[in-house]
Amino acid sequence: MPERDHDRSVEHVLRHVLPGDVPAQQQSTCPDAETIAAWHEGTLRAEDAAAMERHVADCPRCRTLMAAFIQTTPVAPALESFWRRWHLGWAVPLATAATAAALWIAPPNTPQLQLSSRAASPVSVDATAPATPPPALSPATAAAEPSAPTSAESLQASGAAVTSQLRKSLSENESNLARLADERAAADAAPSTRIEADKRERATITAAPRAFAAAREAAAPAEIVAPGGVARWRIVSGQQIEWSPAARNEWGPATIEAPDVLTAGAAPSATVCWIVGRRGAVYVTTDGMRFMRVPFPEMSDLVAVTATDERTATVSGDDGRSWSTTDQGRTWSAGQ
Amino acid sequence: MASWRIPDALVARLYETARADRWALPVAPFAAALERSAGNTFAAEPDPRALERHLTSLHLEDLALACACAAGHESAWEHFVREHRPLLYKAAAAIDPTGGSRELADSLYGELFGLAERDGARRSLFEYFHGRSTLSTWLRAVLAQRHVDRVRSARRFEELPAEEAPDLARASVAHQPHAARYVELMRRAVVAAVARLTPKDRLRLGYYYAHDLTLAQIGRALKEHEATVSRNLARARRDIRRDVERQLRDRERMSPSEIEECFAAVVEDVGSLDVADLLGGVRKKSQEDRSKERPEGASA
Repeated sequence: MPERDHDRSVEHVLRHVLPGDVPAQQQSTCPDAETIAAWHEGTLRAEDAAAMERHVADCPRCRTLMAAFIQTTPVAPALESFWRRWHLGWAVPLATAATAAALWIAPPNTPQLQLSSRAASPVSVDATAPATPPPALSPATAAAEPSAPTSAESLQASGAAVTSQLRKSLSENESNLARLADERAAADAAPSTRIEADKRERATITAAPRAFAAAREAAAPAEIVAPGGVARWRIVSGQQIEWSPAARNEWGPATIEAPDVLTAGAAPSATVCWIVGRRGAVYVTTDGMRFMRVPFPEMSDLVAVTATDERTATVSGDDGRSWSTTDQGRTWSAGQ
Repeated sequence: MASWRIPDALVARLYETARADRWALPVAPFAAALERSAGNTFAAEPDPRALERHLTSLHLEDLALACACAAGHESAWEHFVREHRPLLYKAAAAIDPTGGSRELADSLYGELFGLAERDGARRSLFEYFHGRSTLSTWLRAVLAQRHVDRVRSARRFEELPAEEAPDLARASVAHQPHAARYVELMRRAVVAAVARLTPKDRLRLGYYYAHDLTLAQIGRALKEHEATVSRNLARARRDIRRDVERQLRDRERMSPSEIEECFAAVVEDVGSLDVADLLGGVRKKSQEDRSKERPEGASA
């Protein structure tokens, strides 16, 4: 009997024995609704959360309750990857922008324009020479034409026409892109889930094709990288965290119940990450995935954090003040 | 209620943080709510810093809203009705899409308003909210609690199902002479193997096999990615299988062929006993839905 069949047998039995036959390892009273809610939100102390987990694992009533409770949990909108969010709406204008950028970089400030490598003897033309463009010459036909024997004068005229046409085309592209950017920005203004960085990125990309790469890099969610790059976290949409363990390029949602905007983070190891935010929001994870709220005595907007381990961190407010803890937030000392 | 008092200055600061003045809530009931919350957390009078840390970690705005609602402040109720009642009904619909929980939500709403009276005074369910979680999550937890208790209460009046072990063995006995013994051995071995798993593994297995939660729902409950849930379920099942094989071989001194017969015995028709039906309260997913998201290596 192969292992798979044995597994199936185990599954059959599991379906029958799990509710009541698992011996309870801990005798305790069932938790109240608020403790269950706090456990779900990840705000219980670590030892209380562990006790809850033990209890619910062995208490059929509480497990059933949690199963019902989970069904009431609103499903967070799926976190799309940066690339998926970005490329769907912008594939067309960006393809245009990339083409325009490639053409832009080549002609405007270079004195000579190479029309075609297929010409019998390459002929250079003055791209800036004034000329009256032939009425129906497009870049495509211009590229195809030179296979026929041409004079230097006609090539010069054709080159100037192509340059003029390209610039006009580029100008139209840019104005179209700017218009599209405005429309997209207006459309994006309503859903609060869109992050400001995205909007800035889009505007930047469309306004200046040459700055495309830099803009994209600047608009990407800030990453918090553990030493050696063994794990990374990033703040998404201001209130969510994504985690990429083991230096893989796969991001999954971490758990954090953050009612306030998150601003910065620090990761001293592969599984420890501190995150701070507005109104005194401080969180820490010790398993990389689940962030717990760390008590913090002030309502300051926190903008920076440094950490050396899961217990020791220094946070800074936007007013320049800083606070340090060496016991994972049980106590804080100011101004260190 | 705590037997000690929270310093007035701290109450004032927390009152301001909670924006309790929005509901024209007097300071006294808010301070009483803070003391209830602290009394619920600390058995004895705590260190002032520990007390302050606890109180500042509370969801103070929600606590103020609950206080104001409990005290019957109209603007607070309007806010609650506008912001939270729809969520309550939505949660009820999620628990029981046939509408059975709507009545429960209405009943809960009545309790929140304070229909029950004690000593001539209106008592509101809000008084049991201490701000340790958000108000919306607490409401969902209370609703789930009421739902499960109602289902369990209803079960008391229904005919009890047959015992599980005989049901497991029933169909097999006719085919194999040792089937009943083998099934019982398997059941005991699996129970022992499950007990040796970590609480989180047991919880994950329970959610999946006893309550038919989807991988996504289990992921939300345990703060794990769906793929991680799937991997962990597969690993736990493999651990159980190896543990069972070891028990049968080492403890029961069974030969490989006998072990095979044990595993085969429980694959026979195990009857229709359904643990989720026994416990109730959890909507069964169709087999088709489940087949789309079976954990790695799970059998159909």
